[in-house]
Amino acid sequence: MNRFLTSLAIFLAVSATVSADPLTAEQSKFFETKIRPVLIKECYGCHSSKAGNARGGLQLDNQRSTHVGGDSGAAIVPGDLEQSLLFNAITHEDFVMPPKRKLSDSVIDDFRKWILMGAPDPRVTEIAEIQSTITDDDIAKSKSTFWAYQNPVLPTVPGVNSADWTRTPIDHFLLSELEKAEVSPNQDAQSYKVLRRLCFDLVGLPPSPEQIDYFQTKWSADPDAAIALVVDRLLDKPQFGERWGRHWLDVARYAESTGREVNLTYPHAWRYRDYVIDSFNEDKPFDRFVQEQIAGDLLPVNDDEQWTQNLIATGFLAIGTKNVNENNGRQFAADNVDEQIDTTTRVFLGTSVACARCHDHKFDAIPQTDYYALAGIFGSTRTYFGNPPSEFGSLSDAQTKRSSSLILLPIDDPSPFDKKLSKAEMDDMREQISEMGRQIGEARRNRNNPGKSGSALTSLVRLSSQRAKLSSQLAVVDDDGNPRSYCMGVQDSDSVADARVLVRGEIDELGQVIRRGFPQVLTNDQPSIPARKSGRLELARWIGSDQNTLTARVMVNRVWQHLMGQGIVTSTENFGVTGQSPSHPELLDYLAVRFVDSGWSVKTLIREIATSRAYRISSDFDESKFNFDPDNALLWRANPRRLDAEALRDAMLAVSGELVTDRPRGSAVAKAGYMRVRDGRLSDPREQIRQVTEKMRPEIRDVLRQRIGQGRGGMRPDTESGRRPGSSTGRQRPSFRERMGRSGRSGFGNRPSLAEATAARNSITKLINQRELDAEDATYRSVYLPIVRDEVPRSLDVFDFAESTMVVGTRESSNTPNQALYMMNNAFVIQQSDAFANRLARTNGSLNDKIEQAFVLTYGRPPTRGERSATARFVGSMGRSSESKKLALLCQSLFASAEFRYLD
Amino acid sequence: MNYSRRQILQNVSAGFGYMAFSGISGLAGAQESASTNPLTPKAAHFPAKAKRVIFCCMQGGPSHVDTFDYKPQLTKDHGKSGKYGGKLLKSPFRFDPHGESGLQISDIFSNVAKHADDLCLIRSMQCDQPVHPGAMTQMHTGTTQFVRPSLGAWTLYGLGTENDSLPGFVSLSPPSGSARNYGNAFLPAIYGGTKVGRGGRAARFAQGGSGESVPDIKNPRLSDQQQRSQLNFIQQLNREKLRRDQTNPGVEGVIESYELAFRMQDAMPELMDTSNESAATLAMYGADGGPTENFGKQCLLARRFIEAGVRFVEVTHGNWDQHVRLTDDHRARAEACDLPIAGLLQDLKQRDLLKDTLVIWGGEFGRTPAAQGADGRNHNNKGYTTWMAGGGVKGGLSYGATDEHGYEAVENPCHIHDWHATILHLMGLDHEQLTYRYAGRDFRLTDVHGDVMTDIIA
Repeated sequence: MNRFLTSLAIFLAVSATVSADPLTAEQSKFFETKIRPVLIKECYGCHSSKAGNARGGLQLDNQRSTHVGGDSGAAIVPGDLEQSLLFNAITHEDFVMPPKRKLSDSVIDDFRKWILMGAPDPRVTEIAEIQSTITDDDIAKSKSTFWAYQNPVLPTVPGVNSADWTRTPIDHFLLSELEKAEVSPNQDAQSYKVLRRLCFDLVGLPPSPEQIDYFQTKWSADPDAAIALVVDRLLDKPQFGERWGRHWLDVARYAESTGREVNLTYPHAWRYRDYVIDSFNEDKPFDRFVQEQIAGDLLPVNDDEQWTQNLIATGFLAIGTKNVNENNGRQFAADNVDEQIDTTTRVFLGTSVACARCHDHKFDAIPQTDYYALAGIFGSTRTYFGNPPSEFGSLSDAQTKRSSSLILLPIDDPSPFDKKLSKAEMDDMREQISEMGRQIGEARRNRNNPGKSGSALTSLVRLSSQRAKLSSQLAVVDDDGNPRSYCMGVQDSDSVADARVLVRGEIDELGQVIRRGFPQVLTNDQPSIPARKSGRLELARWIGSDQNTLTARVMVNRVWQHLMGQGIVTSTENFGVTGQSPSHPELLDYLAVRFVDSGWSVKTLIREIATSRAYRISSDFDESKFNFDPDNALLWRANPRRLDAEALRDAMLAVSGELVTDRPRGSAVAKAGYMRVRDGRLSDPREQIRQVTEKMRPEIRDVLRQRIGQGRGGMRPDTESGRRPGSSTGRQRPSFRERMGRSGRSGFGNRPSLAEATAARNSITKLINQRELDAEDATYRSVYLPIVRDEVPRSLDVFDFAESTMVVGTRESSNTPNQALYMMNNAFVIQQSDAFANRLARTNGSLNDKIEQAFVLTYGRPPTRGERSATARFVGSMGRSSESKKLALLCQSLFASAEFRYLD
Repeated sequence: MNYSRRQILQNVSAGFGYMAFSGISGLAGAQESASTNPLTPKAAHFPAKAKRVIFCCMQGGPSHVDTFDYKPQLTKDHGKSGKYGGKLLKSPFRFDPHGESGLQISDIFSNVAKHADDLCLIRSMQCDQPVHPGAMTQMHTGTTQFVRPSLGAWTLYGLGTENDSLPGFVSLSPPSGSARNYGNAFLPAIYGGTKVGRGGRAARFAQGGSGESVPDIKNPRLSDQQQRSQLNFIQQLNREKLRRDQTNPGVEGVIESYELAFRMQDAMPELMDTSNESAATLAMYGADGGPTENFGKQCLLARRFIEAGVRFVEVTHGNWDQHVRLTDDHRARAEACDLPIAGLLQDLKQRDLLKDTLVIWGGEFGRTPAAQGADGRNHNNKGYTTWMAGGGVKGGLSYGATDEHGYEAVENPCHIHDWHATILHLMGLDHEQLTYRYAGRDFRLTDVHGDVMTDIIA
């Protein structure tokens, strides 16, 4: 440590002098004749910006990045041979550079001399001092004038003329604006519509006919009491957390894979999903919920159980999109920090700070330096998103250049998919890994061998991916083969430091050091962050509190949006200058203050909104009101809403009677484990094809292999030991030939018949077109479907599921032909229609009774006269068809119709 | 005549409401319809040179110095040190002048070279990153990093489409994991590309005769007639609701989506079925077998979609990433797409479609003049070549240039933003005016960049 500090001091002193003073003629000559030519010739090819290459994150074409170094550390520390990794590499100690041969002793000696003389280097890029165009005055002015930066204060509840219409203060705020505009709110909606709203809004499921009847009775006696009763009951259901947790997962851009080109699974992400659902069910105080997600690892805890939950909560910072194929480790780190800053500020504060990565924020008073104050905090944090290293280290496949471990949970909580390994299995895996390591070494040596390079590269890719898979399986069990429980998340880094501004956000263009802190316009008190701490705890406590003006407002606005169909601020993630102003600013403040005063209780907030008069009014169209206020900004009516993807799928399951409400533990992704996802599947298609083709006659196999150009790669039968090299047809399997021969094909000799070849081809085509990630047969709730980036199940994807690479507070609500095709033809919809029809068939009564019942189950009401006769005509038109087929088509039609898909 | 859409729908008999309406919409109701159907053709900002686009996306980074950027000095300096290290590697392929314009093109593209006088080579391309995902994303969306709408989505947003039985933006057999390259991002979903067919391994199995590659395109157990009668019933329920609600854009959207979907069920398989194409046509595209079969079919499908009025079609040809085995593999990649692309150009020309169809060819970047290993090249984003043909660009033109070895663009550099600006311009769209407000900001495909390359416009 001491030596480190000394060398750091030398480094700073020397670089200061070098930057300040020009080189002496002698130093300059030494560098130009002995050093620069070698760098250009031997290093720039892989380590210079001009060549567009920075292997290992290292660039050697200017002094600054040479000193900063790459992924492993500083390449040159002036005056210190031991700390200078470049010297370490050219002397072939821990690193070996240039890769194929060693420099001559005299050249190495030149570098030794050069480093010891302080590495004089004329290739100086001045450290830039970024001057913000946003002045302190600008910030102060914005802070004192812009609405969102003012503390919310409890406003006086306005008086209204029609006080008897109101139920809660919310109604006063809304009605006073309506009265000013001389627009009257709509009448209350019919009771079944109100109940349908409540059920979908609170638990994401339709009411049953019995619930509709019960509610109708209560409603007739006392609508207020009826609503209050139902709201309380729904808030207590475990389905509440599944509904509202999913809203949170939208903004938290929850997914179970890295996304991007190399789409690696996150097999442990589901723990964060369940944590979110449980938090909403427990009505965990929202401020606490926020703090746990930003810094759960740093919060004080009472017991291991709480600690476990808190660690899982920090998965919030780890589940973002990652480009694991990134060559440059520093670029990867900078992008990860950026993703965390962007998500954190937009999700909690409704403020986009990430705009300031490259330049001052164009609209809000957020200078570029504020971004780097946060970058210091997140840059001092380590993110765990990959798979723990096995005893063989962090073995990854050829495409995975950025790997990471996971956090071991204090309490073991195995998922149902965690496998125990026997000692024999482990030994076998170890042996395989070692053998593959040997073969990989061989392939590496052959890589540059002309004639062999192609096949060497192919086997290198295949072997390294197989080895990585084995290693990842070995890594998640203890020495006895028992599964260990991990989560994704963050921890404070060992090397905590303030960040430097990056000019235009480019990692090699360094500016001044910025103290870790919070965006100035959002706070009056910068935190005092202990030198050895990242500052994440301070950030969490500031964001998860009423010490800022935004967190409570942003959350109550989202809750309002989910219940009322549009936010008071419609730009739910942008409360900045370019966002929309609140339609009812006092109402927003009222809700925010009440929210904080209630102990940040989300359930209390929902109860208050759902029991307002405004929540229950009808969505009926009214021409004169519409002409006056087409956007319904005054909320003169309820907003008609399309059911979102999950509600639609869950509603079909609920109506068909197939819904399994128990929570499935883990997820399909957890079951698959750590792997790369391709073509919508969680298993290796090559492996599946191999299994299918093994059962075919060798002749057909050969034909197919030619067709899919797989002679070498995936379809080759096992290369188990014992197979002689040089046999080009693969292993002969007489037993298969015999079996095929027995089926009467022998007359055709060895040539496959056309029909046979076609059948074989079709079976493989089917295999290839199968998308297991669509999970068409699953009957659990949609929130538990596997969410792999770019491979979202079709049932969610076609209905505007939240794009999981982005923070989505407001989903799209489109009507596309793909949705129509889905409702008309998809296997899941057809399955559920059949199940629904079976459910009806089991009831007593005539066909007409069953039709009535079908409408009640889907629409919450019996058919109108027009619907009844249209249905009769439709059913009649099917003539001789069986009753079950008629019912199934009717059921599918009801699922497909607009009324089922909308919430009025 | 101020009939609202609603009133019209109320006044037509059940079952034919939409049909009747769509007949009327061409006349009196056009304006009304424009406000409700986001895909209705829209007026361009100025007269367009190109009405539609076929983008031949070459995934992996084809080497410009081995295809369309002739570098005699590279051949002369073969084996010498390149300016950024490594040994210069001459192209293993032969270049010759082609057509009246005498454009130099390598012999691995000898069929495309026959159309030299239609090609506008842009030999000074640049993008921001020499890594595949970033560069590929930037080529499609303008940014290396964020999720943004793709070029095709912007085009559809700007112009709408001409065939109401088909989606307006189609990506044929895109590689897996490339969804954002044809995505709508924050634009309304209707502008996103519709994926048709599967990429990679599955594409090699795709059979011309079926529409199975479009998900849920066919009901497994109903005849067309049975399904039409079911659909009529669904639409009756929907119209009944619309009648009660008086005005409900959501329900109107549902009604429209079912009609388009039902038409797509007919139109898509028919379009995907190439069995009625003559043997000569199939041969022209190389779609009749051999290494060109797969991409030949894609190109043929692209022409069929374009002809049917689809606004933007993308076809992808992959695996150009030759760090090793450049000679063999680049030749093989080119062989698989040279004839199909040439066939596409020829077919468009003989159908008089090339004049207002913009064909674009390009990869996410080029490759280094210096060797990697004995027979390979690394990524190069500082200078590479793409080309355009038809759609109002000058044929037989070489625009811009790289340095003597092909490292970086030195003459008329064309950044990917300029490329986007020019493509939109050819479509009649001003890249600075084509904006969409999202999260409080007006977004553009070109962000705050982009200059139209007026020199290449005929």
